[in-house]
Amino acid sequence: MLWQTLALTKRELKHWYRVKVQIFMTIIQPVVWLGLFGQAFNIGQLFNAPGMPPGLFQQAFSGAPNYFSFMAIGMLAVNVLFTCMFSGMSIVWDRRFGFLNKLKVSPIPRGVIPVSRIFSTVIRAMIQVVIVFAIAIAFNYVPGLTGLGLKEGFGIVEVLGSFAMLFLLAVGFASLFTTIALAVENQETLFGVINLINLPLMFASAALFPTALMPDWLKGVAEYNPLTLAADGLRQLAFVDAAPIHSMWFNIIGLLLFSGALISLSVLTSRRLLSNR
Amino acid sequence: MTAIVEVENLVKRFNEDVLAVDGVSFTVEEGEIFGFLGPNGAGKSTTINMLTTLLRPTSGKASIAGLDIMTQQDEVRRVIGLVPQDLTVDDELSGRENMYLQADLYDVPRDEARKSIEDLLEVVDLQDAADRLVKTYSGGMRKRLELAEGLIHHPRILFLDEPTLGLDIQTRAAIWDYIKDLKAKHNITVFLTTHYLEEADGLCDRIGIIDHGKIVALDTPATLKRSVGGDVLTIGVRSEEDLTDLISSRPGIISVRKEDGVYRAKAVHGEAATPEVLKAIWEKGIAVTSVELSRPTLDQAFLEYTGRSLRDAEQSGSFDKAAAARAMRRRR
Ligand SMILES: Nc1ncnc2c1ncn2[C@@H]1O[C@H](COP(=O)(O)OP(=O)(O)O)[C@@H](O)[C@H]1O
Ligand SMILES: [Mg+2]
Repeated sequence: MLWQTLALTKRELKHWYRVKVQIFMTIIQPVVWLGLFGQAFNIGQLFNAPGMPPGLFQQAFSGAPNYFSFMAIGMLAVNVLFTCMFSGMSIVWDRRFGFLNKLKVSPIPRGVIPVSRIFSTVIRAMIQVVIVFAIAIAFNYVPGLTGLGLKEGFGIVEVLGSFAMLFLLAVGFASLFTTIALAVENQETLFGVINLINLPLMFASAALFPTALMPDWLKGVAEYNPLTLAADGLRQLAFVDAAPIHSMWFNIIGLLLFSGALISLSVLTSRRLLSNR
Repeated sequence: MTAIVEVENLVKRFNEDVLAVDGVSFTVEEGEIFGFLGPNGAGKSTTINMLTTLLRPTSGKASIAGLDIMTQQDEVRRVIGLVPQDLTVDDELSGRENMYLQADLYDVPRDEARKSIEDLLEVVDLQDAADRLVKTYSGGMRKRLELAEGLIHHPRILFLDEPTLGLDIQTRAAIWDYIKDLKAKHNITVFLTTHYLEEADGLCDRIGIIDHGKIVALDTPATLKRSVGGDVLTIGVRSEEDLTDLISSRPGIISVRKEDGVYRAKAVHGEAATPEVLKAIWEKGIAVTSVELSRPTLDQAFLEYTGRSLRDAEQSGSFDKAAAARAMRRRR
């Protein structure tokens, strides 16, 4: 079963890395986002107006030294979301071109079909995460740009902890979108659903802006968005955060539940969603 | 001989109103090439899809190698190979990668897989193209790759749904040879569907003629042809007078039908009956404009059992409907 899952995961990854444009996009997309979005919105300036108490920015922005640093961490989580939203796209294509029938007549457990897509998406998301992280750090060495400023003592434990949380986030989102792809009949519907949930997920979270500045109703939702759990956890590792949204344990357990529940859902529903009528 | 496929009263109904398969019963013997012959929309693919666990029958029973297709799906999947009507090889992988992927899906051990993959690629003449991406293959090459893939896990029975659909004549003949070769080498049973008469005739040990979801005849090609009732004598005359009775009164003539201005007479021995009939017409002073004596063909058998020739069946609306339905299924 594991062997079959790996074989199909390999197929997915081959499809991905054989298209050179996709490799290029994987690298260029975070540069554009970090470069434009992160550098243009220098919100930190606003807090330096005369009469403002010192340290107010750090207090509101999880102890980040500047907005770029705050956003770069959130961008790691957002990138996971964006990589994962097309997980399962290949199921729609495979259904269209008959390859899914080949999988369905083979004696593989049905759950292997979504899980292989989830694995390959998670691998891609983690590659993307490494790239975003490296670029954000590299900006420190480009004259005229702000780079990701990390707390003193940020080391291997913090790196591994961050990747572990992003990994759980990726498993959860990849499972979510793969299950949606299993359930929908065609590509148009899938795009519709992705568009519908994608932006709200991103904006109703602490990924790009602190939840503290949101109206109460939105804050209530945003604080439990998995993107927030990951971003909040990561920021506690990256900065000296005086006022985190949740405790570290809450974030970790939340992400474990999120990923565990959604991958189970994907496996459990696959039997029914892939069954013949 | 033992039966490897046993089908009892199998029915498939789509959306209440489409009765795609209308209670078919038959058995396939181990080691034979069994064929379903029928026009588009007859229910061939639907039957294969039910037998290969892709579709759930509305009612009825079927087993493959003694395994129930409803309750033992995983076991059934291990003993069957399927080459579906629509191509399913992965365009973005090479031929060899497709083969290895298939081997992995069926848990064929690596060493064994390597050997049988090279053997199979050789039989279907794809060794040289094996490392090219499948998207550069021609239609015939893809079909050959699918054939080879279907055999990697040593199935006991291989299902081929319209194995030569859309291929040109030479490629079609080549595919027939590959099928025969593969069957001989792997000693398996083959269940194929087709709407090409030559294919059914030349390849199959036994044929089921299927039309509107029902099996209307089932036997060896030779017996089916013989059952049409002998040779067919087609005579054209220059006369308005009805000669049906005159012709049928001649010795050796079984029946006569007037169609499109010509008389079609069935005779036990065409050679003996022809002069008798011609003589009788000539003696009435009527000019004969054309004579044709033909051996029974499968097309005549088809006509006999379904009331229309296979070519007509293809041209009547059912063709477009089936194509449209397939397009619809692809979109889902
Ligand atoms: N998924 C489906 N939904 C509705 N009707 C279908 C479906 N699949 C097949 N049919 C109908 O069932 C009949 C038999 O189709 P099919 O088995 O594909 O025929 P064949 O393979 O002999 O050409 C056709 O009338 C076709 O339109
Ligand atoms: Mg068909």
